[in-house]
Amino acid sequence: MVSIRLDKVTKRFGKVVAVNNVSLEIEDGKLYVLLGPSGGGKTTTLYLIAGIYKPTSGRIYFNEKDVTDLTPAERNVGLVFQNYALYPHMKVYDNIAFPLRLRKEPKSKIDSKVHEVAKFLRIENLLDRYPHQLSGGQQQRVALARALVKEPSVLLLDEPLSNLDALLRVYIRAELKRMQQDLGITSVYVTHDQSEALAIADKIVVINKGIIQQEGTPEQIYENPRNVFVATFIGNPPMNIVKGTVLEDGTIETTGSRLTPPPAVLEKIKRLKLKNILMAFRPENAVVSEHPMEGRFSPMGDLFEVEPLGRDAVVTVTVGEFVIKVVMPTREAMQLRIGSKVHVNIDPSTIKYFDPNTELNLEYIEA
Amino acid sequence: MMPETTDVETINRRRMNLALGIVVLIASIPILVTYFILMASSFANQMITGSMVGQLTFTLKNWILFFEGKLTVASAAVYSTWDILRYIFNTFIVAFGVMLVTTALATMAGYACSRMKFKGRKFLIQLLILLHAFPGVSLIIAVYALYIFSKGPIPSQWWTLYAFIYVIVARAALEIPMDIWIMKGFFDKVPWEVEWSALIDGASRIKVWKDIILPLVKPGIAAVAIFSFIAGWGALIYVLVFLPPTEKTLATYIAGLLAGGSLEVVHLPVVAAAGTLYLLPTLIFFSFVRRYMLQTSLSGIKG
Ligand SMILES: Nc1ncnc2c1ncn2[C@@H]1O[C@H](COP(=O)(O)OP(=O)(O)OP(=O)(O)O)[C@@H](O)[C@H]1O
Ligand SMILES: [Mg+2]
Repeated sequence: MVSIRLDKVTKRFGKVVAVNNVSLEIEDGKLYVLLGPSGGGKTTTLYLIAGIYKPTSGRIYFNEKDVTDLTPAERNVGLVFQNYALYPHMKVYDNIAFPLRLRKEPKSKIDSKVHEVAKFLRIENLLDRYPHQLSGGQQQRVALARALVKEPSVLLLDEPLSNLDALLRVYIRAELKRMQQDLGITSVYVTHDQSEALAIADKIVVINKGIIQQEGTPEQIYENPRNVFVATFIGNPPMNIVKGTVLEDGTIETTGSRLTPPPAVLEKIKRLKLKNILMAFRPENAVVSEHPMEGRFSPMGDLFEVEPLGRDAVVTVTVGEFVIKVVMPTREAMQLRIGSKVHVNIDPSTIKYFDPNTELNLEYIEA
Repeated sequence: MMPETTDVETINRRRMNLALGIVVLIASIPILVTYFILMASSFANQMITGSMVGQLTFTLKNWILFFEGKLTVASAAVYSTWDILRYIFNTFIVAFGVMLVTTALATMAGYACSRMKFKGRKFLIQLLILLHAFPGVSLIIAVYALYIFSKGPIPSQWWTLYAFIYVIVARAALEIPMDIWIMKGFFDKVPWEVEWSALIDGASRIKVWKDIILPLVKPGIAAVAIFSFIAGWGALIYVLVFLPPTEKTLATYIAGLLAGGSLEVVHLPVVAAAGTLYLLPTLIFFSFVRRYMLQTSLSGIKG
């Protein structure tokens, strides 16, 4: 099958650098998710892989073959466009059959393939409609069908499920993942929905401003973000960030509370001669209570808001200049009084430390 | 009684349509009446005017006279039925010629202006509008000079053919700038992604153009075809200047006979027949192409 390699790829549109010196290796048969905010360069990266855009500089390889100068057709990719790009003057059937007809496959084979993929995507009953007679979600599935039907060696998906309702999205997402694994198609999946990314990705590539921020498994991305951007982009709510001052004795002080960091962190702080430090922790790794808890780092603040979301609640506390969000059981959260003084009890082993200058996670800074 | 529930859009559309319809109708009454009188008169024993409605009778005489070449008393001696048929044929040649040349070139150039990046593209697009503003008459001397100049090397037995080609191309040239502009507008509405999608599906550039893009701009092509057909059908000055005196089109034939104050000696209902005939193909052609004009929605593409 096919592995994809981008080698120092840059794409400029006039003055805009949409993709900036990106090097990335996409393993054979894996599903990679490009995740990032709007305008981050996700679509551009996808188009570069598809061959729609030619890189301003850098090379692209499929296996060890340089495909930089090949046409999209020669790369045998399937692409689902962000805006579907169905052929408006063709019925659904003909839309799906279009790539097969171009390959001059026999009619009966085309017919069975179209029906097979239509059945898979639950659009069999729509085959003789025109695109404008379909809902957004149905159009999206037709686009998906058209990309899948030609059994591409690389499948590229630009927010393919954004228009589906929540149930259908979860269903198709799971089916898509299963099918992708069964067929072993190397896939690149663009989304800005992080829960979707965490759910289906073999590897997530976080991209912002055309630069890869971090590449790793969903666990790595979630548990150990490489920089402040990733920390504050992933998670719902994302990580809390608190700034602290490094004291002479090696402890960290923030808003009147003190914390002793692990020795490895302390050593890096010393070597980098950091005066200040950013500490980040996930909302679910803290508990808000009236009194400080044993074995926790417990800065004090004012309870600002409690939003119950079913079993769990999001509790917002202002600690000095920082706004901290904590996810905890609704039952416990409801015991707290808005406006009262509370402690945010953070599990110290889950705290990540970032260099405030480079915004890099200290764990990713080489010793 | 409860009013029937209707989509918001439908209500709006209905009211809009009604209001628009009334306005258009009122505005067109003078034109419609004029055309009606023209057409009806061609089948009557005399020109229809308000006072003599009672004395009218139906007749085909005017049409027969017209096809016998008897538009005026004097013309009967000069023109035969064959001449008339040939003029009609010539008119079709010029009209279709202008239509084909204009539509083909405007479609291709419109695509280029919409899709391709080249130096001076913006300037060229603005220039198109300016070019359209030049009246054909003001160019005629230069165009004539070019004609004489280019005719030189051509053997004289081909001159009539060359004249036709020259008229068609010259007349089309006047139409093309505006039609490029129109076609550009239609191409602009076709998203890039549709083209890319077809390329990725394995279509060649030509196939994408033929099977994907052209069907999506059909309404534009239809509009441009109609405009240029009408322009070619009604072409007067260029036909008069370049075609040899023996070759006429309906426009030059009728204009020629009516020129020089001969209006008093013509039988007006025969002129009405000529006028009706002159109008007819445009109407037929229009109703033929009309159904393409409002077709094709660009749905299936988000945003
Ligand atoms: N054809 C183009 N011409 C000029 N600039 C472009 C073009 N395509 C993209 N850009 C710019 O490049 C940057 C990256 O765009 P891209 O479409 O890749 O973002 P994205 O991550 O897909 O965003 P979204 O989630 O909104 O789709 C943006 O700043 C965008 O404005
Ligand atoms: Mg995008």
